[in-house]
Amino acid sequence: MPTLTVDGQPVDINEEGFLSVPECWNAAIAAALGRREEGLEVLTPDHWKVIDFIRGFYLETKMAPMVRKVCQASGFTLKRIYELFPSGPAKGACKLAGLPKPDGCV
Amino acid sequence: MRRTSESRSRQILDLPLDVRTQEKAKADKAPCVEEGRLATYRPDGRNVQRFLALLSKRMNRRLALSMTGCVHCGLCADSCHYALVFPDDPQMTPVAKADRIRKIFKRHMDWTGRIAPWWVGAKRPSDDADLNELKNVAFGLCSACRRCTFNCPMGVDTAGLIRFTRGLLTSLGIVPEGIFNVSRDQWDTGNQMGVSEADYLETLAWMRDEVRTELGTDAVDIPIDKDGCDFLYVINPREIKFDPRSIGQAVKIFHLAGESWTMPRWGWDNTNFGLFSGDDALGAFVADNVYEAAARLKAKRIVISECGHGFRSTRWEGYGWAGRDQDVPSESVVVSLERWLREGRLRVDPSRNALPVTFHDSCNIARSGGLTEEPRRVLQRVCSDFREMTPNRTENYCCTGGGGLLSMAEYRPIRLEAASIKARQLEATGAKLVCTMCHNCIDGLNDVIKHYNLDLKVVQVLELVDKALLV
Repeated sequence: MPTLTVDGQPVDINEEGFLSVPECWNAAIAAALGRREEGLEVLTPDHWKVIDFIRGFYLETKMAPMVRKVCQASGFTLKRIYELFPSGPAKGACKLAGLPKPDGCV
Repeated sequence: MRRTSESRSRQILDLPLDVRTQEKAKADKAPCVEEGRLATYRPDGRNVQRFLALLSKRMNRRLALSMTGCVHCGLCADSCHYALVFPDDPQMTPVAKADRIRKIFKRHMDWTGRIAPWWVGAKRPSDDADLNELKNVAFGLCSACRRCTFNCPMGVDTAGLIRFTRGLLTSLGIVPEGIFNVSRDQWDTGNQMGVSEADYLETLAWMRDEVRTELGTDAVDIPIDKDGCDFLYVINPREIKFDPRSIGQAVKIFHLAGESWTMPRWGWDNTNFGLFSGDDALGAFVADNVYEAAARLKAKRIVISECGHGFRSTRWEGYGWAGRDQDVPSESVVVSLERWLREGRLRVDPSRNALPVTFHDSCNIARSGGLTEEPRRVLQRVCSDFREMTPNRTENYCCTGGGGLLSMAEYRPIRLEAASIKARQLEATGAKLVCTMCHNCIDGLNDVIKHYNLDLKVVQVLELVDKALLV
């Protein structure tokens, strides 16, 4: 299983870069995933607005939110979401928010 | 060298069965599991005996021909991207993969294998570990692209045997987690991402409003459950859940073409994991939801959004699974686009798509769906620099993420290694855009592009048409 090193600690991720144990997520892991998976050197407040909403939604429902809900909560357009997370809401934003890989054709 | 690559397939064959989400489904009392539609693994379940009983029960003439017709000529090895990328590993050839089910068939059903098993290499699986290994071959070392089937001089349907094997294993719960999870969602919610009706309708209303703003008219609509329209539009749930841009593009184009159309409240998922899992009952359930919606709403046609396996399932296989006549014709949205362009109902300017673009034929659309020319005719009208990749059409290589592989993360490293042939093929076109009419191929190609650092962007036909539109 691949690992990600965050502050000198190994963190298990799956073959696709999603966290193996979603519970172990923190801000430093999100930043490290952003660098490794999305090529984002820094996560801006706009990134955090999206990540925090997705994380909160996941903790409450154990599901990834619809992108509609992400746009409503953040006030961003769909286009803006794709600018922030080049791999899109599922493989970009949800991954950085520490969610497990969404099921299905994604 | 030989040793290294042989051990590569060995690493895949040894991957364990993961039943954590099966346990979760049982704990959640998922209706499909409770009612026995979706099997879970039973460690003490006499699985080998059950496997053999199902094999006999489901055998038919077409499968038996493929079981017995192979002369081991080895031509299929030249058509499989796994075998081409790992030439020193015999386990990667389609014939070796099919032989794993073939030898069980011979031992259990064929007279030669019953009389002289040592002579014809007939052998039963001995235990669940053997069945797990078979799972890793059927799901993990094959993208079900059917290139070997197309190139077999004996007409052996190796991909058909792989799907048959997958189906037997799915009936025993010996199935990769990704396939199990999506099957559960399709059985219990009618769509592969568990999207609720309220969320579905809300996202559609959102896209309608976006297009209204863009075109500056409230005449744009997405009619839900409207009777007697010219066509019923069905989509891939990822369009609703994660990327509704393609819905917006479709709505805009349907409006400009002056079409009478509708989307159903239930029966809107054109995808079908029954195709990947080999479970014909799931295949029948999901496809019939769409056919029922079309019949209920008296739609004249079913139009399928840009999804490869959804097209194959809904356009072709689904009627057989559901035991249903094709009362309402079905077609891909790209066929509709081609017609509207040809009839002059959409006006386009190809100079708006000036970057060189190539087309990737989805296995399920070209090889298994017979649809190769319409997308090219559309691209030639809406792009100014269209280039073929080689090989193309029914001989194209898989995006390497097909057959459900995208949903099975455990097999991702090997599929990306086997994708080197796809990477070279893409690179040789010199294109900046690769267009495909399949959502699965979008992600499969994106994985290849990222892994091999290619300078390419993946687009869909609707997106390019939208960009070229003269409104």
